[in-house]
Amino acid sequence: MSGSRLPGQDQRPAVTFTFAGRPVVARAGDSIAMALWAAGERELRRSSGEGRPRGVYCNMGVCFDCLVVVDGVTVRGCTTTVQDGMRVERGGRP
Amino acid sequence: MSEARVLHAEVGIVGAGPGGLAAAVELVRQGLSVLVLDEGQQPGGQIFRQLPPGAAALPGQEPPSHQAGHGLLAAATEHAVPVHHGATVWNVAPGRLWFEQHGQSWLLCCRHLVLATGAFDRCVPFPGWTLPGVTTAGALQVMVRGYGVVPGRRALVVGSGPLLLPTVATLHQAGVEVVAALEASSRWRALRALPAVLTNAARRREALWYARSLLRAGVRLRWGWTVFACEGDGRVQRAVIGKVDAEGNPRRGSERRLEVDVVGAGFGLVPSIELGQLLGCRTRYDAPRGGHCLEVDGQQGTSVAGVYAVGEACGVGGAEVAMAEGRLAAAAIVAAVRQTPIDAALRTRVAAERRAADAMLRAFAPLPGLHRLATDDTLVCRCEDVPLARARAAAALHGDSLRAIKVGCRAGMGPCQGRICGSSLQALATGRCDVVPDLPVAQVPGKPVRSATIVDAPEPPATA
Ligand SMILES: Cc1cc2nc3c(=O)[nH]c(=O)nc-3n(C[C@H](O)[C@H](O)[C@H](O)COP(=O)(O)OP(=O)(O)OC[C@H]3O[C@@H](n4cnc5c(N)ncnc54)[C@H](O)[C@@H]3O)c2cc1C
Ligand code: FES
Repeated sequence: MSGSRLPGQDQRPAVTFTFAGRPVVARAGDSIAMALWAAGERELRRSSGEGRPRGVYCNMGVCFDCLVVVDGVTVRGCTTTVQDGMRVERGGRP
Repeated sequence: MSEARVLHAEVGIVGAGPGGLAAAVELVRQGLSVLVLDEGQQPGGQIFRQLPPGAAALPGQEPPSHQAGHGLLAAATEHAVPVHHGATVWNVAPGRLWFEQHGQSWLLCCRHLVLATGAFDRCVPFPGWTLPGVTTAGALQVMVRGYGVVPGRRALVVGSGPLLLPTVATLHQAGVEVVAALEASSRWRALRALPAVLTNAARRREALWYARSLLRAGVRLRWGWTVFACEGDGRVQRAVIGKVDAEGNPRRGSERRLEVDVVGAGFGLVPSIELGQLLGCRTRYDAPRGGHCLEVDGQQGTSVAGVYAVGEACGVGGAEVAMAEGRLAAAAIVAAVRQTPIDAALRTRVAAERRAADAMLRAFAPLPGLHRLATDDTLVCRCEDVPLARARAAAALHGDSLRAIKVGCRAGMGPCQGRICGSSLQALATGRCDVVPDLPVAQVPGKPVRSATIVDAPEPPATA
């Protein structure tokens, strides 16, 4: 799977959340988008018109291509910090 | 509204990057009360971005410019500069900053405002640029240096300007193979930047460091090349690269294919000016500096009294420029409060740093021909899925202005408020590649926040 972490000791506690129903292990301080990227997920949502896969583009909160749904609320995956037990679903149209 | 959610400071600063922090340190040293607000979770802004505490470190050495960052961050700690992180400023008025932090709505009342909001990557649409795995160059920097995530195994870095080098260096440090690094400008055009680099000691050291790091990485920068298309099934798997002429026009027939699993594309930076626009600050268009910038006077003052702008927000220039301008803005505020003169050396420094930065950026000013990479079905607006053909039809029917194109095809009407497509939409839709784009209209919220934050926005206290 492409994408992983820098080598070396990571002393941050593990955080577990689900994405589209599957469990994902992240590190405290990860954004949802980065935790998913590290887990090999690239597609975060489907685009509004043509329903094409989209994922992280700017990684700094500008483009809105990383939209996911957390507990019913649409958020930007790259600016939202993961929390233990979060339920994250793929985003739809902005 | 509950009084507890209203804060007071003499100076409110938006952005904890080099510009905002340099201003804050100086102001605190002079005994003024300051509050810095930043969306990010760590101080340092884009260039001095830090990994979360406890994360594995990035192996290898840092470029010399980052040393200045350590000094600045240490000074901020030493002087106990108050910074609120995770604080998104979504509205402004003179002396007022409304922000959201941890889902709560806050108001900062202050006498002076410093906008140090930085910049983001300039995007040029090409076929396949919306495929997952194709990101901005900055996105990959944030990924590695801000989160310790390794972007992939085989990367393509493309675009134009001095930021391609740090992107390549960062990827190499993270263990990613950079299969190609493509600079759209020709070597001859880039040579114009040389005098600026050679006559400025800090820039000379930086350029040398990157030249060596590219050598170590075994990556040769290819001049006059760019990406023509990205392909893959649900994510990027291949990139088609090719040569461009001196104006950036693709030379069909020069294509090559590369196997890649990640692509970082950055064609320069665009200043983040929406807060200044909401305040009614005058702007000016400066193509090498990234397009529309906040206009400032000789002491970083904008056209609105009590509002200052520093760093990339008043035109792309890099960290040295941002820090010099931050210190000058601080001195101007101290001078206004205490009726003291401003040290002329601060102004000289800003002028010298800007001169060097401008000379360098002119050699990488956006190439108009790159707008010919997009084909009829390439999306020009990522939010609303608008293909180029539809944007062209809208321009033909409704007119060449940004407004007319937006109304005609919905491009630029999505949640990014046209930030991503704004710098290229008019050139693409009208076919006039070197058109000066209209200034997009800024709207409240200047940054997206929850609707509850807006509804609950604290009113300014009657006495303030
Ligand atoms: C992704 C990226 C990577 C870069 N990497 C390098 C590099 O390696 N080397 C280099 O020389 N230059 C780099 N640059 C260029 C960089 O812009 C400058 O060198 C320098 O960081 C500019 O300083 P600044 O203070 O003007 O802005 P920035 O450092 O961009 O700081 C602006 C800060 O303002 C905050 N902000 C903006 N709007 C709001 C708001 N509404 N509410 C709250 N906070 C807000 C942002 O979170 C950010 O922290 C990079 C730029 C980008 C975009
Ligand atoms: S990737 Fe652009 S907003 Fe998250």
